[in-house]
Amino acid sequence: MLANKPPYLGFGLGLRPQHYEEILSGNPAVDWFEVISENYMIPGGQPLRILDQIRERYPVVMHGVSLSIASTAPLDTDYLGALKTIADRVEPKWISDHLCWTGVHGVNLHDLLPIPYTEEALDHVVDRVGQVQDFLGRRLTLENVSSYVTFGQSEMTEWEFVSEVAKRADCWLLFDVNNVYVSAFNHGFSTDDFLHGVPRDRVVQFHVAGHSHEESHIIDTHDHPVCPEVWDFYRETATHFGPVSTMIERDDNIPPLAELVEELDHARQIAREVRESAQRTAAE
Amino acid sequence: MTSLKELQESFQAGILAGDDTILGEVKDSAREQRTVLFGVYRNAYVARLAEILGNDYEQVHAYLGDAGFAKLVKAYIAANPSDQRNARWFGRCFPEFAHATMPFADHREVGEIAALEKALSDAFDGPDAQPLAIADLATLPAEDWPRLTFRPHPTAIRLTFDTNATTIWSALKSETDPPKPQRLPEPQALLVWRQAFMARFRPIGAEEAMMWDEAVKGVRFGVLCEMVATFAGEDEAELRAATYLKGWIDSGLLAGCQVEDNPA
Repeated sequence: MLANKPPYLGFGLGLRPQHYEEILSGNPAVDWFEVISENYMIPGGQPLRILDQIRERYPVVMHGVSLSIASTAPLDTDYLGALKTIADRVEPKWISDHLCWTGVHGVNLHDLLPIPYTEEALDHVVDRVGQVQDFLGRRLTLENVSSYVTFGQSEMTEWEFVSEVAKRADCWLLFDVNNVYVSAFNHGFSTDDFLHGVPRDRVVQFHVAGHSHEESHIIDTHDHPVCPEVWDFYRETATHFGPVSTMIERDDNIPPLAELVEELDHARQIAREVRESAQRTAAE
Repeated sequence: MTSLKELQESFQAGILAGDDTILGEVKDSAREQRTVLFGVYRNAYVARLAEILGNDYEQVHAYLGDAGFAKLVKAYIAANPSDQRNARWFGRCFPEFAHATMPFADHREVGEIAALEKALSDAFDGPDAQPLAIADLATLPAEDWPRLTFRPHPTAIRLTFDTNATTIWSALKSETDPPKPQRLPEPQALLVWRQAFMARFRPIGAEEAMMWDEAVKGVRFGVLCEMVATFAGEDEAELRAATYLKGWIDSGLLAGCQVEDNPA
């Protein structure tokens, strides 16, 4: 067991402005919230006030989209400073971002771009994660992204790369169930290989989300309800890892809060069945 | 082997400039060709930035319609690759761009509607500050008033429009037909700021605008009264100045004041 592993939080949702009022006026059955770090890198006003109010009532984790940990551009110290400022305010249970890059030469493409799985990239990412963790004074949590292309120069599988980053940089992992499903379909690998290929003791969070199927490939749009195939893979994932903080991630076509809570209840139900099944097996 | 740095530069050029060099580095999948798969990144870049601008400039979109807005957005994205980690600031130059880009430059109201939307967004999440209250001034001795200077609320933004953009914006916001665009006989000054967590704006007259512009430079209240007297006549000049000041305080437009020392 790794030291200082973040706590198990239960079942959470991504905090979206459309739901601010409902969350604060009601008492939705949500155990914790994940906030997009960049949305609160602003001078002041209502969003930060609401963030403070949410923080008073719920555990919060921070999730960034622009760290660009794998970029060959220098680390952006202004961005890291802003990230640390928000973290000091929120005191999140952990801070996550994506195992990807978002631009070079001062450009940000606002997308989660794929990495070639090479020793060179591995050394580069491990070094950068170390620098960021030193700056933040805490371990980082990194998420596997959905990707649409693979590189001819890759020397290892994605799960080998992810695992090596986690072990060598000593960081946590956010296992995005949907992203594994999407990338497995796009690149023709087995979801099980990925699932069994990453170190269990490093995984602190799951994302479960919907996507758009384009027949020859799947795009990770986060604008649909979770599909049956991803729920099936979530069941396998929950069985393999045991209790891990789980979150429904919806970024577009945001439905009423109740719909997301319903999806979250479905995740709860699956996790309960998995736990009961494990208990029965243990008892036999 | 292409270095990671070169690979990323090539990937970025593939997205930003349509350069196909990167296609030599990526593979076809079992089901799809690499051009289609890399195209996902090309399409997503433009679509995401267009979505950001659409959210930030809803009424410009409503005014121009889908086709006109798409044209302006496409031109902005091509001319302004994002240099921001936070998408919130990607569209910050959109009003100026609309003013400078044909055919929108010929329709000045477009850039002004954009400027109003940008100011409202900036006020909405601008810096926090406790507004100045009337009670803060209640105990001030009468002889100190002429030496009083004021600090604007950090969210306060002063704009001047040449067109009826605010009327068009208001109509679009309430989803009614906007009036025809027109040049105003005199420029219209307005103030944009945040009060009680809401971004708001208010058109102001030329005299109030003059006094505001001088007040935020740190000009003393006594001098402001003299300027108001010069602007539109001495009759009740102090009352007019005091009325503007009270309006600013009541609206949360000021964040502080102080009594300056007499000049040595």
